[in-house]
Amino acid sequence: MSGSLQNLSDLDRVIHEPARLTLVALLSSVESTDFLFLLKESGLTKGNLSVHLSRLEEAGYIKTEKTFRGKIPHTEYRLTPKGKSAFDQYRKSLGLIFDGKK
Amino acid sequence: MNVQIDSTLKRARGYWFVDGFIEMAAGGLFALLAVLLLISGNTSQASSTSWLLSVAGEISIAKFVGILAAVLILWWLKDHFTYPRTGLVRGKRITGTQILIMFRNAILFLLLPIIGLLAASLLIVSTSNVLSSMPVWFPIGLGVMWAILCVLAGEWMGLRRFRLMGVLILLAGLAIGFWQLALGLPTFPANIRPGILQPLVLESINRSLISLSWLTLITGVILIISGIVTFIRYRRENPTPYMEEA
Repeated sequence: MSGSLQNLSDLDRVIHEPARLTLVALLSSVESTDFLFLLKESGLTKGNLSVHLSRLEEAGYIKTEKTFRGKIPHTEYRLTPKGKSAFDQYRKSLGLIFDGKK
Repeated sequence: MNVQIDSTLKRARGYWFVDGFIEMAAGGLFALLAVLLLISGNTSQASSTSWLLSVAGEISIAKFVGILAAVLILWWLKDHFTYPRTGLVRGKRITGTQILIMFRNAILFLLLPIIGLLAASLLIVSTSNVLSSMPVWFPIGLGVMWAILCVLAGEWMGLRRFRLMGVLILLAGLAIGFWQLALGLPTFPANIRPGILQPLVLESINRSLISLSWLTLITGVILIISGIVTFIRYRRENPTPYMEEA
């Protein structure tokens, strides 16, 4: 297998999915954010967003905190160190694949 | 793919500017400082040093109080208007060293014009040419510096309107510089004595302060207009607060 193809197969499947990649990218540049911000910025439906966030949480890439702002439930999400490392690795792999093509 | 990721990262970084409040607050602060500078410029006193020190003191106090008030108002506005509509974002945590570096840079950036004027007033004899042309180069240099900062910030956050603001600030700096040039520069005699030179230096510094005031005022107005336009667009796109279901 060539180097490029090897890099392609090494891509993290959890992050590689476009919706989850968007979520991880959004979370990587902030400390934490809430469901509403992710909903607005990702353009996903509430159901879809919940599913993708659960998938990321299962993988240990994000951490969820449920709180209340007054009487309104409020859920915040943050990228874990494992998630940050996975995202950095994913971007590196992507760079290698494109560099390999040139 | 990397381009899309970069654009997503920039969107999150620029979220603080999504509603226009920060631009309006910064613009208001700039306008306030400009008015203070213009008032100070009209009340010139006998001693240039004491006059400059009093101006520096007034502006430092105004900056401190203004920034503190702006932060509190912004905090309240974000909490009651922006977060219920498009969500809460907490910025990256920064270390103590980073805070110190940012604080140092902010102080340097804010005090640079004043320090420049004070330093220029202390170097009268050796820099008479520089001083006489100060009303021209000072607003142009400052306009270029602010424009670069504005464009760089826009690039980092993916905000196109910052590029336009940078260009407008640059044009404002150039226009003020050429306006001062058209008014004519103070001519310094070849053999100068501090006692004789003092009023000329004072005139040069006073005109530079007027240039600074106008540039600050125009920058403030540009920021306020940009903030209002951004706010109107944000309000139209997000008319009502969103409620998360239990």
